[in-house]
Amino acid sequence: MTVRHAAGPATASGGRVVGLPLRNLDVLPEGTVERIHAATLRVLERTGVEVRSEAVVRRLVAAGARTDEHARRVTFPPALVEEALSRAPRTIRLAGRDPACDLVLDGSTGYLAVDGNAAEILDLETGERRPSTKADLAEITRVADALPEIGFCWQPVAARDQPLPVQPLHELHAQFTNTTKHVQLTTAALPQQARGAVEIATIVAGGETELRARPVLSSFQTSLSPLTYDGPPLEAAAIYAEAGVPAGFVAMPISCATAPATRAAALVQSNAEILAGIVALELLVPGAPTFYGACGTVMDLRTGAAACGGPEDLLFQMAGAQLARRYGLPSSIGTFATGSKAPDWQAGVENGLSAIASWLGGADMLCGAGLLYGARVYSIVELLLDAEVFSLVRSMTEGVPDTDEDLAVEVIAEVGPGGHYLAQPHTLRHMREQWRPRFFGREAWEDWEAAGRPEPPDRARERAREILAEHRPEPLPPGVEDAILQVIARYTEGAA
Amino acid sequence: MDEKLEALREALYALDGQTATAISTELIEAGVEPQRVLQEGLAEAMLEIGRRWNAGEVFLPEVVAAAEIFKQCQAIVEPALLASGGQTLGHRVVMATVKGDLHDLGKNMVGAMMKTAGFEVHDLGKDVPADRIVEAVRELEPTIVGLSALLTTTVPEQRGVIQALEEAGLRRAVKVMVGGAPVTEDWAKQIGADGYAPNAPEAVRVALELAGSERPTG
Repeated sequence: MTVRHAAGPATASGGRVVGLPLRNLDVLPEGTVERIHAATLRVLERTGVEVRSEAVVRRLVAAGARTDEHARRVTFPPALVEEALSRAPRTIRLAGRDPACDLVLDGSTGYLAVDGNAAEILDLETGERRPSTKADLAEITRVADALPEIGFCWQPVAARDQPLPVQPLHELHAQFTNTTKHVQLTTAALPQQARGAVEIATIVAGGETELRARPVLSSFQTSLSPLTYDGPPLEAAAIYAEAGVPAGFVAMPISCATAPATRAAALVQSNAEILAGIVALELLVPGAPTFYGACGTVMDLRTGAAACGGPEDLLFQMAGAQLARRYGLPSSIGTFATGSKAPDWQAGVENGLSAIASWLGGADMLCGAGLLYGARVYSIVELLLDAEVFSLVRSMTEGVPDTDEDLAVEVIAEVGPGGHYLAQPHTLRHMREQWRPRFFGREAWEDWEAAGRPEPPDRARERAREILAEHRPEPLPPGVEDAILQVIARYTEGAA
Repeated sequence: MDEKLEALREALYALDGQTATAISTELIEAGVEPQRVLQEGLAEAMLEIGRRWNAGEVFLPEVVAAAEIFKQCQAIVEPALLASGGQTLGHRVVMATVKGDLHDLGKNMVGAMMKTAGFEVHDLGKDVPADRIVEAVRELEPTIVGLSALLTTTVPEQRGVIQALEEAGLRRAVKVMVGGAPVTEDWAKQIGADGYAPNAPEAVRVALELAGSERPTG
């Protein structure tokens, strides 16, 4: 891949990570945003959310929220919502083990993640779908470490061969040993798992103060749509936040099933769920670093499954980013979530449009690359193809610089009518700014046939093999891996 | 009488719960055999909705809405049915979302679709411990038990239920079907389930196969 040499904010980290200069385009008119906001406040005050932990409910009520006699339903007065939201930091840092991979989420740049906890993987060699393992997670993370388009890592697949209570800790082990980029933990929703994860992150960061200053780990919890939070995830979020680990909230509503059918109501409910999580966290841990995560789609009316990838998703992406901006919070927006079962035309179209939507809409975090079949199956081939789409979009976002050197009136005069620009010094100076594909085919028809008619996924598969054969991430400092394994052993024993 | 049963069926097609429950009450109060109301009114309407589904004319939310109306009407008919010692519908299915899992939407969709194929559906709800499922299998003697799980963390509980059925000596008495987003054909085989389906319509096909009957084509 050709990285543009002109260093803007998007390449500030020296080429190990590249981001999108965001457009922050408002897809919703201001009046619509304010109507959604007002409706959200009404939902939070009138209907509220169910919180399935009496202990958490008591703590929220002590901080100003209201509850019913069963201490299950929590409602939030509008003033409390506004006040709690104002406590959240406007900018958060997602630090890498390598400081060159630090991401500052301040609304200027969007970063792509590998996501998100698929239960199966398309085997790179056999092409067959099978349950994912810790070794798969390690491999995908290693590939992600090599790709500048990937800014940070979710757990792309679950380490299903590891015991459940400590699975997230094994996932952290697989990832911290295979990348120096930031890791966002999506699977540790129990307090005990959060404690283990914070211990591991503290070891990797080099201490509690270091973790707080440069959190190498972030986390998020998801609502159970509609309008429900299980107790343990909220407790886990507080544990992360107390350690300075960003703790976001992500809603994944499915219109017609777990959310209302109309676009506006789906946005209201999604907004209410996310804000309820953030408000709860800010009441429990004032000033906690957090973020606004939206990942909405619609139900397919025949199969009942999440559709993933349609026009509603594209609108929800842009609207989600806009709402996050309305509250001054960093946004995490589901992107590249094709419903296709293979790295094919459907995946290409859906993910290409999805990348554009998140860029235009202004997503700080684009989550993320490599998923197929509505986030249920992971593919390393798709990861590389998504990274290529991201790099294509990124090149477009660099726009049209207009210095005299760029306008080049002198060069045009020198070549004149009927000449050519091939060997011009101006061409030689600037030609590498042109975006060049790695996987899209631009070869002659004859060469394509002679090569056996390779398609983009074939080229991506080859590249994946190369990366896996060659790329060795910066190892952890001596002793750190042992210390991580000791934490896992201790928590494994504790869970037994 | 036949006109009233026709009106009851029409109310289900129109998803008009108020009219459907009113007609059901009226029929029972008029002394019509509860078995007829259940069979010729409610169950027949669900079968017709199933035919319309197969023809691509209706969508899943409509099937679920019809199934909910079916349930309301069934509650009206049931006391009279029990009093008359009447029989039940076709093959019985017991469904549950396994322990630790609060997601019951998928299970509800499958339950609704099952009714369109004439199954008698007993829904135990969500977060259901294995012993309660075993108890229901012992009591209701269903043809099929359907186990749903959405999370990678709760899927192993499906195996737990199958083991509990084995320990109770009931495993051979019932066919076990499993489903849920992380569930695969391989997993179903691995834990010794009899059937797996990736979505609600497919679940009906598999259930009919397991029950050894054909979907009525009417």
